[in-house]
Amino acid sequence: MHKIADIEIQHDILIANRKLAKRNQKILDKANVFAVDVLGAIGSGKTSLIEKLIQEMNHPVAVIAGDVISKFDAGRFEKYDVPVIGLNTGKECHLDSHLVEHALQDLPLDEIEVLFIENVGNLICPVDFDLGSHLRMVVISVSEGDDTVEKHPLIFKDADLVIINKVDIAQAVGADENKMVQDVKKLNPDVNVIKTSLKENKGVSEIIKSLEEFMRQ
Amino acid sequence: MHELSMADAIVKTVIEAAEKNDAIEILEVTIEIGQMTMLNPEQLKFMLEVLSEDTILNGAEFNMELIPIEIECLSCGFKGEADSEELDHYIPVINCPNCEEKNMNITAGRECNVKNIKIEKSDEDA
Ligand SMILES: Nc1nc2c(ncn2[C@@H]2O[C@H](COP(=O)(O)OP(=O)(O)OP(=O)(O)O)[C@@H](O)[C@H]2O)c(=O)[nH]1
Ligand SMILES: [Mg+2]
Ligand SMILES: [Zn+2]
Repeated sequence: MHKIADIEIQHDILIANRKLAKRNQKILDKANVFAVDVLGAIGSGKTSLIEKLIQEMNHPVAVIAGDVISKFDAGRFEKYDVPVIGLNTGKECHLDSHLVEHALQDLPLDEIEVLFIENVGNLICPVDFDLGSHLRMVVISVSEGDDTVEKHPLIFKDADLVIINKVDIAQAVGADENKMVQDVKKLNPDVNVIKTSLKENKGVSEIIKSLEEFMRQ
Repeated sequence: MHELSMADAIVKTVIEAAEKNDAIEILEVTIEIGQMTMLNPEQLKFMLEVLSEDTILNGAEFNMELIPIEIECLSCGFKGEADSEELDHYIPVINCPNCEEKNMNITAGRECNVKNIKIEKSDEDA
């Protein structure tokens, strides 16, 4: 004879990730490291921005580079002689707390003050996965089109700092960067939105100022 | 897009619970999916079925329950279910149903919860 039984489980996979994210944040706090999750569309300028910040910030920096094939972006960061961990996400579309937890074990946390985590270029999937960072910076560019914000509202609702990059080519691609700023503000009225051209080195000092303000909080 | 890794985690969770309860077969699995997650329930179900093959889960029925988005409006104080106008099949755009503003906290709709399972177990123990 067999019997049927109902078993309550109530295990939320996404909440499990969030719990792990909290644990990551504790590890970072203990080492006094300020961590920034750098999110954004493919090719929007995430790596370029982190390269600038490594050179111009007055804090020792490390980078976790998440990419489908990590050696490309990780290789770009290694030139600056900062600790770099490349995470191969393979077919995955986002980083998760578990991957980051392993990377944290391999970083000299006591020697750094700021950690940039470059997420996979994707405006959709990373939204579901906190990593334990203190700040979520979303980098988009005018070349994705000025309706990007309207199409992907969630990532902007959750953002702490939004960068609209490549304003130098806004006219060429027929995009209105100010519309993009307004769209972000509609979703997230208090967030700081900074327009940049990394090519012409515009806006980077404003980003650093904003990051340093967050670090003091 | 990340249905495969979610399905993998769900399968592990279910099998662990089933083994703990001495299941010989899993008949049903009920999973709650928030409408605000980036998960597509149909795709997730498909992945679950694929991953179930050759496990104790093989043949189980997966019930996907959609959890509506609930909000707390920071402009007018409204609390309850949100309007989500489907822009495409998985990205709801959210407005407060009361004042139409977009400045709000999300209080439900971000779940991917393995709620419960129905198992068959041997009746011999007691
Ligand atoms: N015109 C212009 N080009 C830029 C600017 N910033 C970056 N780029 C170029 O955009 C391309 C992509 O930049 P990356 O920094 O690799 O972008 P990414 O977001 O890291 O890309 P993935 O990691 O592949 O998603 C490169 O060719 C950069 O030189 C800018 O402000 N203006
Ligand atoms: Mg990159
Ligand atoms: Zn309202």
